[in-house]
Amino acid sequence: MKREKSKKYRSVQILRGFSQLAFFLLFVYLFLAAHYTGEDYISSTAQRFFHFDPLLALVTIVSARALTAFFLFSLITVVMTLLLGRVFCGWVCPLGAVHQFFSFVFKKTKFLKPPREEKSSLAWKYFILIIVLVGAVFSLNLAGYLDPFSFLTRSFAVAIFPGLAYVLSGVAGLFYSAGLLSLGRSTSHLLENWTLNATFIQGFAVGLVFLAAVMLNAKKERFWCRYLCPAGALLGLLSRWNLLKFRINQATCINCNLCSQHCPTQASPFPIGQWRSGECIYCFNCAAICPTAAITFPMSIRPEKAGNVSNVNLGRRRLVLSGLVAVASVPLFRLTPFKKRASLKLIRPPGALEEPEFLATCVKCGQCMRACPTNALQPALTEAGPEGIWTPVLVPRIGYCEYYCSLCGQVCPTGAIQKLTLEEKAQVKLGTAWIDKNRCIPYTLGKPCIVCEEHCPVSPKAIQLVDTDTKLPDGTIVTQKAPVIDVEACIGCGICENKCPVVDEPAIRVTSIGESRSAQNQLLLQTGGDPFRP
Amino acid sequence: MTPMKRRLFIRNMVIGGAAAAFGPRILPGQTISAAGWPDLAAVEGESPSAITKQAINMLGGMGRFISKGDKVVIKPNVGWDRTPEMAACTNPEVVKALVELVLDAGAKEAIVIDNTINQAKRCYVRSGILEAVKQTDGKMIYVDEHRIKKMNIHGEWLKEWNVVLDVLEADKIINVPIAKHHSLSRLTMGMKNWLGAVGGARNQLHQKLNHAMVDLTAFFKPTITVLDSYRILVRNGPQGGRLSDTKLVKTVAAGTDPVAVDAFGASLFGLPAAELPFLLLAGERGLGTYELEKVKFEKRKI
Repeated sequence: MKREKSKKYRSVQILRGFSQLAFFLLFVYLFLAAHYTGEDYISSTAQRFFHFDPLLALVTIVSARALTAFFLFSLITVVMTLLLGRVFCGWVCPLGAVHQFFSFVFKKTKFLKPPREEKSSLAWKYFILIIVLVGAVFSLNLAGYLDPFSFLTRSFAVAIFPGLAYVLSGVAGLFYSAGLLSLGRSTSHLLENWTLNATFIQGFAVGLVFLAAVMLNAKKERFWCRYLCPAGALLGLLSRWNLLKFRINQATCINCNLCSQHCPTQASPFPIGQWRSGECIYCFNCAAICPTAAITFPMSIRPEKAGNVSNVNLGRRRLVLSGLVAVASVPLFRLTPFKKRASLKLIRPPGALEEPEFLATCVKCGQCMRACPTNALQPALTEAGPEGIWTPVLVPRIGYCEYYCSLCGQVCPTGAIQKLTLEEKAQVKLGTAWIDKNRCIPYTLGKPCIVCEEHCPVSPKAIQLVDTDTKLPDGTIVTQKAPVIDVEACIGCGICENKCPVVDEPAIRVTSIGESRSAQNQLLLQTGGDPFRP
Repeated sequence: MTPMKRRLFIRNMVIGGAAAAFGPRILPGQTISAAGWPDLAAVEGESPSAITKQAINMLGGMGRFISKGDKVVIKPNVGWDRTPEMAACTNPEVVKALVELVLDAGAKEAIVIDNTINQAKRCYVRSGILEAVKQTDGKMIYVDEHRIKKMNIHGEWLKEWNVVLDVLEADKIINVPIAKHHSLSRLTMGMKNWLGAVGGARNQLHQKLNHAMVDLTAFFKPTITVLDSYRILVRNGPQGGRLSDTKLVKTVAAGTDPVAVDAFGASLFGLPAAELPFLLLAGERGLGTYELEKVKFEKRKI
């Protein structure tokens, strides 16, 4: 028998490589474009990529109980998956491309080469999906932690690109010390122009998680896509009726099992009849590697047998169990004192929804943190309770909210941070600044300062200066201009705290009270009518 | 090498007498000495660009200050993310006019730079200065933390501080501030503008701001100070925020005496120069004259 590999499927494989590269580059470009380009309103649609993700769409719509038009784009992915199966995973997904790249590299090495045998259960990603979906029913939005777009954007924004910027800055320093002035300058200008000079408190944790996800490719090729990805699981469930079928020509098949060995997602092309349409990402590795070109992907409208959809043994008991785990974990996520009493450090970005809606809508993708020009937005750890881990929180000590900036709302993919015009944004109050007279230089040392006042961006200023007497240790009294807050004028932007010369624990600090988005977290009594009438 | 030359040059200019021997480029057949030109010129008019050019003309033209092949740094105030009509940053047309004059006078490079307070790019863009400089052959660069170096600045109060090297390494420096209200120094003009040419914990300089301003002015020794008072900020300084915080004065003042320029600026706010401690200190230090009646001062309206 004549043995010859399929040239056609080899070309399709190459084509797929280009497709992955193109979508990955598009993703990186849109990611980088989400910053202040010199325009107040960014024209690039970094957030649009997310709108094609059916998992984010489904979870956010269910969790936030709101139908949002921009998620209509995800229907395109749904229809594509219904027709063609998980081509999205194999051809489009940028995180899939990352994993495929590292799997490829690891396979070339001896010590990182993933073993072919001991295949684990594919059921995990379905259990993860169930947990995420059940959570959404209770308005617990867990999609972002393992959703590929959120995961990749967050890792890039919070860890990878800050790490890259750190290296580039070092390179600029090397250029300067080598006397290459203009090279040093262009490197530094690159970082400034693309707003890459950022550091994040949790960059380390997020970076380690990303590194771990990449290293798992040494355990198993495309480990993430096989075992973890809830978006892939959702698409797998949708691919039951897809038209792109897998066939082995029994007459030419030599039972070599090469196809199954090279399948990156355990879709089991061999033995014949075992193919799992829900696992296949249409990489066409099997068709290209088959020594007799026995594998084809014909179109057919006949649906797969239900068992073949994933051909994964989920087991009714295990399904029910994972659902119960999800239900049981909901109250655990809600164990936080912040429901009754606002968290003082929970300063949300301008345009953020009221806290319960915000938590139900935010997918922790970190796009806002990427766009923030002053590095003020940081992934939360404890500030927002367990449900709010990695949601954005403004940390004035690191950065402040630029008065004429509304980028975070413009790049938010789910509307957790609403799009605001600059005029609307200037009206938003994020919190209120408070002076710590025990630390404030004029109040305590009797020395001049006024730094907070000069930086206050509102006019008339929310920080006014009043002549104040200070008793010095030797008993003498000095009079100095000292800051006093106009609580109603303060917008809580945090520039005062950021610029305060008392650097360790600033003498002026912003807390969340008075934030416009909350009806409860208010300082001044808002009666709005006769208190003696019901 | 070059900064020394410049500093020497400026010291002589300020002292007055021997200045002509070092700096001014005397054209062949020209007999007039530096002493023949005013120390301070103020021009009022509709076009910021035209009054800037006229003011420099009255000082003897840019050719008097700039030699062929000079690297010139122009230091505007671009501290804030504010549009020109908010009068928080130097008028872009004034900066542009200076870049053009400097390049026309034969400078090799005209670099515009400021250590901003808000995000640098925002300030550069919204102030309109980046766009204005782009229309010329000048360059606008960002302050780079790699290019900030702690050095001895020989001040009376400020001994050592972090300085922006790109400013320092110029052959000639032109300071082009805007006249604004400030709660601590009362006014921020040319002398205060040097806080934008340094790095480090700038906010701590406020604890002895007047002394810091004088020490920094003595250190940087601008060749010329051009005070943009086309639109001045009269309250809520130094960044304002409303049009009503500003006042149209339509004047640009230029001078070789940085103290006299600031003293003139004070008069626009109706403040006697003698009420501004930094001017008194600078006068004592011999950096210039704040008593305008003692200054060779020409005023014009076009």
